[in-house]
Amino acid sequence: MTALERINRWRGLVAFFLVFVLGCLFTPRAADTGMPIFLSWRTQLDILFENCEYGLLATGMTLVILAGGIDLSVGSVLGFAATLFALLTVGHGWGIPAASLTVVAAGLLAGVVNGVLIARFRMQPFVATLAMMTAARGFAKLISGGIKVQPAAQPWYALQENTPEFFSWMTRALPGIGIQPAALLFLVSIAVMATVVGRCAYGRKLYAIGGNEEAARLSGIRVGPAKIATYALCAGFAAMAGIVNATRQDIGDPEAGATFELDAIAAVVIGGTSLSGGQGGMSFTLVGVLIVAYINKILSLRGVELPQRMIIQAVIIAVAVLIQRRKGGAS
Amino acid sequence: MRVQNPARRACRAAVVLAALAGIAGCGPKQAPAGGGATGGSPATTGAGSSASGGGAPGRKFVIGMSQCNLGEPWRVQMNADIKAAAAEHPELQVLYKDAQNRSETQQNQVREFVQQKVDLIIISPKESRPLTRPVADAMDAGIPVIVLDRKVEGDKYTCFIGGDNVKIGREAGEYLARTMGGQGKIVEIKGLMTSTPAQERHEGFLQGIKGSFIEIIADVDAQWLEPNAQREMNSILARYAKIDAVYAHNDPSAHGAYMAAKQEGRGREKTIKFIGIDALPDEGVRYVRQGILTATFQYPTGGKEAIETALKILKGETVEKNVILGTRIFTKQNVDRGGEPL
Repeated sequence: MTALERINRWRGLVAFFLVFVLGCLFTPRAADTGMPIFLSWRTQLDILFENCEYGLLATGMTLVILAGGIDLSVGSVLGFAATLFALLTVGHGWGIPAASLTVVAAGLLAGVVNGVLIARFRMQPFVATLAMMTAARGFAKLISGGIKVQPAAQPWYALQENTPEFFSWMTRALPGIGIQPAALLFLVSIAVMATVVGRCAYGRKLYAIGGNEEAARLSGIRVGPAKIATYALCAGFAAMAGIVNATRQDIGDPEAGATFELDAIAAVVIGGTSLSGGQGGMSFTLVGVLIVAYINKILSLRGVELPQRMIIQAVIIAVAVLIQRRKGGAS
Repeated sequence: MRVQNPARRACRAAVVLAALAGIAGCGPKQAPAGGGATGGSPATTGAGSSASGGGAPGRKFVIGMSQCNLGEPWRVQMNADIKAAAAEHPELQVLYKDAQNRSETQQNQVREFVQQKVDLIIISPKESRPLTRPVADAMDAGIPVIVLDRKVEGDKYTCFIGGDNVKIGREAGEYLARTMGGQGKIVEIKGLMTSTPAQERHEGFLQGIKGSFIEIIADVDAQWLEPNAQREMNSILARYAKIDAVYAHNDPSAHGAYMAAKQEGRGREKTIKFIGIDALPDEGVRYVRQGILTATFQYPTGGKEAIETALKILKGETVEKNVILGTRIFTKQNVDRGGEPL
């Protein structure tokens, strides 16, 4: 790790700490205890839970951005995955393991298509994933017949009474730990990927490709397969986020996840991973996700109106990118 | 200079965040933007002001209201009705949240109200299934929940208040059958037919005109939108020489149909009866007063009833589980008297 990255990480933590203090100072207090609601353990866990879909998307997005790419299709892949998962379980009565594996496999496949278009056919990541964004949304509407997948929505659905127990289990706090499985899935995913990126050869390849693709190629890295794997992983996480979405909404919504890709990219960038590739990491993204989540929570708890909220969010993104550009200019 | 001073960097971050804190701090004190009486009143939610100070008699009650989408005039009206009703009870403080048409946001809002330990939650859900669990969780936490307009699944809520679209459709049908002498050719401009209100307004209307010689010569799905209604009505006017009435599932669609007839330039807007639904004060009721619509039927927001019910619940009285609201008809004759209940 270079000195630059170490400082960058510190900046993220300072920002994170400041937002946390803001949360304690500016949120309303609970009626009975008089403690800031923000500070309660329950609120903190809720924040993780409420943002686990963005977190999963941002985890995958970090890989793509580290490699110097972008993936606009994650929101649509999330919607497709949510629809497919609900359709398999509620519509066809599949078991949870089979349905989950199928959905994640479908996600990986979408990612492989992205990767092949980009690595083999030299398409711009922006364009290739834009096409996938449209296609995945189309598939989501196609398989669902354009309606939300829920029990009894179609006469032929296998489960006519209620969604499987798994749906509510994912969103209920685990006894003893107090955290929801959906939020846990995000934490485990980002921890695993932090290890992979930080300790494995694949991680070093990512940084090399993102830093200078030609140099990476010349130094003997097989850039193509690494890129395909990266887009596949990204879409795989989007598919997992889709499963989480279906369980949280208790419904398979073909429109789910629209514009989520932008929130995921924003979280990655705010965390400090550079959009030009090669700089940043998973821990940055965790900080980025939490900063965005905290700010949204503070604004929501305070009841700030939509117009002001949008402006504040815009300022945060702009400032984060500005700081990055300074850094780039200085190096 | 490759590496910047870490202290400077931290400094910059601190300045940025202080600026943000400034924005966050002043945001809620500003008047709610747009919509006039939208009822979004964050000024009452100053930091730490939601504490309600012990359980002494005459205590204040905090009510959390989660509205699914303040982009729709009818829902703005619902909030305005709640605000007007709550204003008569100084012991009530209502916190308003707008979920901007996202179920995720609305789930979060319900959880926040629970965290905030409000005394009662009023919710008008975007969609029943995603909100079912958060509402049930609030009930488990001992907070009564009043559900407005759209139901949640199951029976874990304190009270549901909603209108009856089938009845409204039926009243509209019977009114047309009555005023047209039991015969005539009409056009039906439907709302989004994948939504239950549109299905029910259609079904009720068919019941209402049953047994008469009224004939629906054309029907279109305008998805509740005035521009669609106007465009479709243009083609219908071109296709049919004789149209006696237009039944639209909402007032903007009826207005759109009227505009199409007017722009046709053959004066047919004066001979065709235009019937709408919803009867918002600034929309359908005004159109009736201006003579654009022959009649409009109110789809009640339930805002006033929600506050009345909330007061009963907070005082410990039992309330009915499901309250179905009636409708009112507004015509040229009764519009200045505030319509007539049906």
